[in-house]
Amino acid sequence: MAGVPLAWYLILSAILFALGIAGFLFRRNLITMFMSIELMLNAVNLSFVAFSYKFGRVDGQIFTFFVMVVAAAEAAVGLAIILAVFRTRKTLAVDEIDSLKY
Amino acid sequence: MNLLDLILLLPAAGFLAVLLLPRRNPGAARGVALAVSLAVFVLSLALAAPVWKDGSTMQFVTDADWIESPAIRYHVGVDGLGIWLVLLATLLTPVCVLVSWRHIDRRVKEFYAFLLLLEVGLIGVFVALDLFLFYVFWEVSLVPMYFLIGIWGHERRIYAAVKFFLYTMAGSVLMLACIIYLYNRTGTFDYTSLLAMINAGDLILSRPEQLLLFLGFFIAFAIKVPLFPLHTWLPDAHVEAPTAGSIMLASVMLKMGTYGLVRFALPMFPTAAREFAWWIVILAIIGIIYGALVAMVQPNMKKLVAYSSVSHLGFVVLGIFTFTQAGLDGAVYQMLNHGISTGALFLLVGYLYERRHSLEIADFGGVATAAPNLSTVFMITMLASIGLPMLNNFVGEFLVLVGSAQVDFRWTVFAAIGVILSACYMLWLYQRVFFGETPEKVREKVYDLRPREWAAAIPLVALMVWMGTVTKTFLPPVSARNAEILRQTTVNAEFLVEAPPGARGAAAEAVEVADAR
Amino acid sequence: MSQYYTSTDHFVLIPALMLALFGCAVLLFDFLIFPHPKQRKWLIVFLIIGEIFTGAGLWRQQSFLSSYGLNELTAFNGTLTIDGFALFFNWLFVLLSVLVAIVSYRYLEIENEHHGEYYGLILLAQCGMFFMATGTDLITLFLGLELTALSFYVMVGFLRTQKRSNEAAMKYLLLGAFSSGLLVYGFSLFYGLSGSTKIVDVADALAAREPGDPLVVLAMAAVAVGVLFKVSAAPFHMWAPDAYEGAPTTITAFLATGSKAASFAFLMRIFLGPLESARPTWEPLLIGAAVLSLFIGNIAAVTQTNVKRLLAYSSISHAGYILLGLIAGNETGLIGVAVYVAVYAFMTLGAFLVLVALRRRDLIGEDIEDLAGLMESSPGYAVLMLIFMLSLAGIPPTAGFIGKYYILLALIQTGHYTLAVIAAVFVAVAIYYYFRIVRAMFVSERKETAPLASTFGIKVALAVSGVLTLGIGIYPDPFLRMAGFSLIR
Repeated sequence: MAGVPLAWYLILSAILFALGIAGFLFRRNLITMFMSIELMLNAVNLSFVAFSYKFGRVDGQIFTFFVMVVAAAEAAVGLAIILAVFRTRKTLAVDEIDSLKY
Repeated sequence: MNLLDLILLLPAAGFLAVLLLPRRNPGAARGVALAVSLAVFVLSLALAAPVWKDGSTMQFVTDADWIESPAIRYHVGVDGLGIWLVLLATLLTPVCVLVSWRHIDRRVKEFYAFLLLLEVGLIGVFVALDLFLFYVFWEVSLVPMYFLIGIWGHERRIYAAVKFFLYTMAGSVLMLACIIYLYNRTGTFDYTSLLAMINAGDLILSRPEQLLLFLGFFIAFAIKVPLFPLHTWLPDAHVEAPTAGSIMLASVMLKMGTYGLVRFALPMFPTAAREFAWWIVILAIIGIIYGALVAMVQPNMKKLVAYSSVSHLGFVVLGIFTFTQAGLDGAVYQMLNHGISTGALFLLVGYLYERRHSLEIADFGGVATAAPNLSTVFMITMLASIGLPMLNNFVGEFLVLVGSAQVDFRWTVFAAIGVILSACYMLWLYQRVFFGETPEKVREKVYDLRPREWAAAIPLVALMVWMGTVTKTFLPPVSARNAEILRQTTVNAEFLVEAPPGARGAAAEAVEVADAR
Repeated sequence: MSQYYTSTDHFVLIPALMLALFGCAVLLFDFLIFPHPKQRKWLIVFLIIGEIFTGAGLWRQQSFLSSYGLNELTAFNGTLTIDGFALFFNWLFVLLSVLVAIVSYRYLEIENEHHGEYYGLILLAQCGMFFMATGTDLITLFLGLELTALSFYVMVGFLRTQKRSNEAAMKYLLLGAFSSGLLVYGFSLFYGLSGSTKIVDVADALAAREPGDPLVVLAMAAVAVGVLFKVSAAPFHMWAPDAYEGAPTTITAFLATGSKAASFAFLMRIFLGPLESARPTWEPLLIGAAVLSLFIGNIAAVTQTNVKRLLAYSSISHAGYILLGLIAGNETGLIGVAVYVAVYAFMTLGAFLVLVALRRRDLIGEDIEDLAGLMESSPGYAVLMLIFMLSLAGIPPTAGFIGKYYILLALIQTGHYTLAVIAAVFVAVAIYYYFRIVRAMFVSERKETAPLASTFGIKVALAVSGVLTLGIGIYPDPFLRMAGFSLIR
């Protein structure tokens, strides 16, 4: 990693994060949107690890672990909810799930 | 706890008592409400004598901590300005209880509960000496009136109630902002200490500050008065309200606005008040003439009386902003007159409605033959409302005209046109309703006054005559207080705002010398 | 770093430990000890015992602080801080959880849903809230936030077979997770700027930077957007009406009060900690969000027919008021935020509880029309609802007025006159839609319906919130002293 400057990691992280946001905002399938959120969290992980390496401190890496745990928990809860939605409606397209709009 | 606290507490206790009564027994609610309101009235009579002797100082003062920080105090007291308005509220509440005895036949318990709560709010507004407390009472009086109109009103009651509430609220929130601003400047909500600070020169409000603060207070009060062009809620509210609601609204609630102007807006922001006076007077005169003209073409009796209120209250505002002793006295006297005579008009129109179940003038005619006593009472009330000498309104209007003539004779001319117009629409109303052909329905349905109805009407008629002939009974404490207020506004206006403290004393002396002369 | 788990650490952690312990225990007991449906009532008793232990822990912390005259007590090497602020909010959470739990029994019976998970999740969510109010480290704050949010995702979708409920959960989950992503990205930049996750260090590092440093602005923007999502301030409020409407009403009550209060505690920890030095940068942003919240919340509420949705929009507008207190930022403003959050919680909880009582087997009881004639059928509930509505509208002498008063005072003290006038004007708009509910209850004709589903729990909870709403309005002194104690500094 010696040859790769910190900025590159950060730029990569920012690009991944932006891709995640774009995916969340423009895709209309529940699973894809959910994956976009995961992508955002992983971009965050990358930047935490990169900073952590630069500072030579461990707390950024710890934060990464926690973010991973949270992402896993979110996935578990999220997929369960998506499953429940699918059971009652037989669709995963967000635009068709609109019974709460007035 | 002194008498005044008791007078505030008693209707509040009555409110709770009525609320806790069983729903199945409406008679009990009526009885309790009547007993409580009569007791309050009798007690409040005892306030009058001490205040009469010395109208310019606050009496029956209670000053207790309510909230430590921010320092909000329960500070109440009554002086020559407030005393008659308090009595007006306490007198009209039992009258309203009597009027509603038959008229209100559903949800009786709630009706009387709200009426008593309204009384608390109204009395509170006229005695509060802490700006915050004043605001609280101001709002407290709003809620029961909303329900009185909204639940027991006529067809478009909800529209009228909401309009009434929104108008008043929009104004009063701005007033709250101004009150908080004052608190932020001085650290106190207490009206007397604020006034003392202004007098001593400890609180100097710059010109733009005064103008904005004055406008904040003024708009809240002007909506309540209501001053043209903020009056549009009034006809709706009156037409839709039940009789008791109309009486309380016209007689007492509108006075909250004019009272606020005299009590708070003038002494605290004299410079701004004087600067705006000219514009306000123009609005008042437009209100006088416009209200009278619109009243003339109304086919609905209540609407007619409502627009006549706009006209009459224009007189009050005109009197206030003449800044003369006669004008202010006339304005305060006119507040009371309007309370009595317009209250009585609404009462009588309510009686007619109970009989014929209509408010349209076209549905009536020849009532004089069917109900001679009712016609006579209506005649006296109508003449009082026009301003016939020997009846109450004459005194007030005359004083206002005298006051305005001292400042600018053109104002007097225009205001006098309003008096003439009021004679036109009132007499025409009387002619159409009480004379002429008697339609079948009127002959069948209209009966003469019953004892309970007499009981409600007699005190008002007696007061009209009393106030029109023996002004000495009522005017001295009012004048005493008004002189104080005038001195106050003059003193501060002389120095405008940025004058050095030294000059203040000298000019105050100059004013006193002028007064002595 | 000499010891890993000191007695101070333990002392500070006790409330959270109790909550987590009892939360897990309730889950287990549900099928181990109380398998029979009739025994489920004991779960509530068990939850209350858990809250008593939690409260005892908080009480000991509070008396420790006051007896030694300390301002704060830090633990885990500065990761958790018990101070007046944390205690104030934690007491609020305890009260809210208990009140929500005791009204839920009948509601769950009617909806025919499980009990054990429900009470367990309430406790776990509260555990997360503890960390949101107590944490002084980015990691603890983030974990607290996520624990709360995850519990709420499940609770919002608790009525698994109902379309509305799981749709609400889905929307809440997607937008919640999205906002967490934004937030934690901002946190990673905080870490990059300061090399530490402690908010004290982050604050120092950010203060040392020049104002308007692009990295600081980026981090601030990401965090601000994430937090504004959580407190449902416009323009990041879209999830709130859907989540509030679709969730079980008891959970809506908890979401609108507990979660909102915790989010504001979180927001205060971040904005008055690391971001205090960047105030000139975020102030315009928050002013925009606050004014927009007032506007959207109040205007959109006017046309709603569903009371839950109406209250959701009203809660957006209340978020705007609370943000105004933070914008004023002086002592009055910060006390005002604490006062407003607590007062808002009491009155909103009360309003939702009335809706809980309206839910009957044959009636959802969420439309304004379902409230028609409530004054005739159940006057007690109608009068309480009237008090809550008056308070939400900010009419004296109710608690809501004290809250609005503080915010207005703070704005005027700090010279934000335009904002004060805007805030005041929207009070008048708000009255219109709150009074639609009042009108339905008092003016409209009664419809023939089954009696309300009132239980002892609902009565107690309503009495508590009613007394607090009215009591604070009439005699606010003791409450104001408590709120003053919550000041961070």
